[in-house]
Amino acid sequence: MKKLLSLAVLAGLAACEPSPPDAYDVSKMDFTSKAAKVTAQGHKGAFAEGAALSMGAELKRLDAAPVKTVRLDTTHKVIEIAPGVKFSAWTFGDQVPGPTVRARVGDKIRFVMTNRSDEPAPVPQLLAAPMMHSMDFHAAMVSPQDKYRSIAPGQTIEFEFTANYPGIFMYHCGTPMILEHIASGMYGAVIVEPRGGYPTKADREYVVVQSEFYVKPSPGKQKVDGGPLYVLDGERLRAAQPTHTVFNGRHNGMVVNPLAAKPGERVRMFVLNVGPSKTSSFHVVGTIFDRVWMEGNPDNQMRGMQTVLLGSSNSAIVEYLIPQEGSYIMVDHHFANASQGAIGLVSTSAKPPAQDLEHHNMQASATPTDPDAVAGKQAFESKCLACHSVGGGRKLGPDVAGVTKRRDPAWLARWLQEPEKMLQTDPAAKAMLKEYNNLPMPNQSLSEAEIKQYLKYFQWIDAQPAGAVKSQAGGH
Amino acid sequence: MAGLLLSLQALACGYCVEDKIAATYDHAVITRALAHGRHVVFFHVDGAPVARAVLEQAARGRGIENGSARISPDALSLSVAFDPRRMPLVELNAWLDRKLAKHKASLLPLRVMERRSDLAAVKR
Repeated sequence: MKKLLSLAVLAGLAACEPSPPDAYDVSKMDFTSKAAKVTAQGHKGAFAEGAALSMGAELKRLDAAPVKTVRLDTTHKVIEIAPGVKFSAWTFGDQVPGPTVRARVGDKIRFVMTNRSDEPAPVPQLLAAPMMHSMDFHAAMVSPQDKYRSIAPGQTIEFEFTANYPGIFMYHCGTPMILEHIASGMYGAVIVEPRGGYPTKADREYVVVQSEFYVKPSPGKQKVDGGPLYVLDGERLRAAQPTHTVFNGRHNGMVVNPLAAKPGERVRMFVLNVGPSKTSSFHVVGTIFDRVWMEGNPDNQMRGMQTVLLGSSNSAIVEYLIPQEGSYIMVDHHFANASQGAIGLVSTSAKPPAQDLEHHNMQASATPTDPDAVAGKQAFESKCLACHSVGGGRKLGPDVAGVTKRRDPAWLARWLQEPEKMLQTDPAAKAMLKEYNNLPMPNQSLSEAEIKQYLKYFQWIDAQPAGAVKSQAGGH
Repeated sequence: MAGLLLSLQALACGYCVEDKIAATYDHAVITRALAHGRHVVFFHVDGAPVARAVLEQAARGRGIENGSARISPDALSLSVAFDPRRMPLVELNAWLDRKLAKHKASLLPLRVMERRSDLAAVKR
């Protein structure tokens, strides 16, 4: 009897303990926001701005400010989605996918977007005609008719919302035809951390956005950098038959530039499948997902998963350990998708990704002023960065930093003009071919003036202090 | 005015007003029209379903720029560039409505662009 009484008292005490606060108490959420403001005020600065933005796979830590001011302008530009496949894309923040926004539950996102699809381009006929665009944040709970309005070229829209739920949320252009706007590159991720942070400690954090491209050579046979320009293939798009399925906008992109991790480290990967029309069976060869938080919310937890299935606009945080030295292969285990480019590596031998010091559309380092060197820089960045770095070490070909000290100008000029002939006759060229896995440098059919511009640029690089000039991986 | 508000409320079914405009927004038409002192008006096509050919036929003549009509049957929208000196918007709207009356359709002006990057609400 005494025992029973004690149990009853204990049960009573337990009942009196305050229950933890409900993280989803809607009465504590913020559903208020001022009406969106649309103006004819343009913007000429950076296409993407904000301390809460990460531009690539490596995620910046959460910015502590409770109000995140974010600018993501819309642009039309040619991007390379696979070697030689230059696609006339539409973007947020001038990149595909758009930059990742990181916030915490309770934070306010103050968003501004200028439709800059009408900005002059060096070769305007390569770009789609200016058009209306809009922004649809899945992380927001707002009136679509107010906040997600389409704006005309030259217009700016501003609105704000509070992040009420944790997760990884898609953002995309919602202007009809939405399918075309998403398939042309207008998407990205918003990461909302739980108010108290994640329950585990990760050593690395990466974002991986899976998407499909549906492309065909331009019917007008337009050329870009000597190759065909690719445009959206409407028939394949409507039939959901992609030509490329990729991670972070690039066919096999993270095979060429693997993500870094060390043995024993815990990797937290924020995976978002934006589609627009395919599912993803996300898997990492060589490890098991210790935790999967569906939609990026730790309350939706699964343990010991091999694969996570994500429909269009579904997401998950996957956490896994790197058990030992090696390259761990991220794939969409729908292997038809993987064969179209949805592959990447997390490798213990990868160099840490270069710090993203500045937005890619701003100068990340010193820049030449001589017009020939400027033209050479532009040509180099559009044609050569896939195979060569500037101060970043070897890629498929040599690092061009120091090239004017290794070779004399006449040799370089000949090499740029007729590499195939040099490979037949010149001992230095032959040795270089052998050193670089017999991958010959293609003849770019450069004019004498263009060669002069390249040389001016290379000379300018070598006149800078060591390490002062660095190219961004991939190029634009 | 009440009619206009009711009609706009009825549009809140997935397409924002601006999205209907986007469906017929043609930057080349707009740039050309504004450069020549013309305006561009965006209409919602109200009433019975109307064939594209009917709208194309209706949007010809009297102050409407040749070849400027853009039609989206899916979004039920129509845009035209017009010369406001030859025919003010109110008259243009009434004239087009008369032409479409026999098809039991009418036009609801959503926005008018008189300057670049300025989709102004239509004052009635």
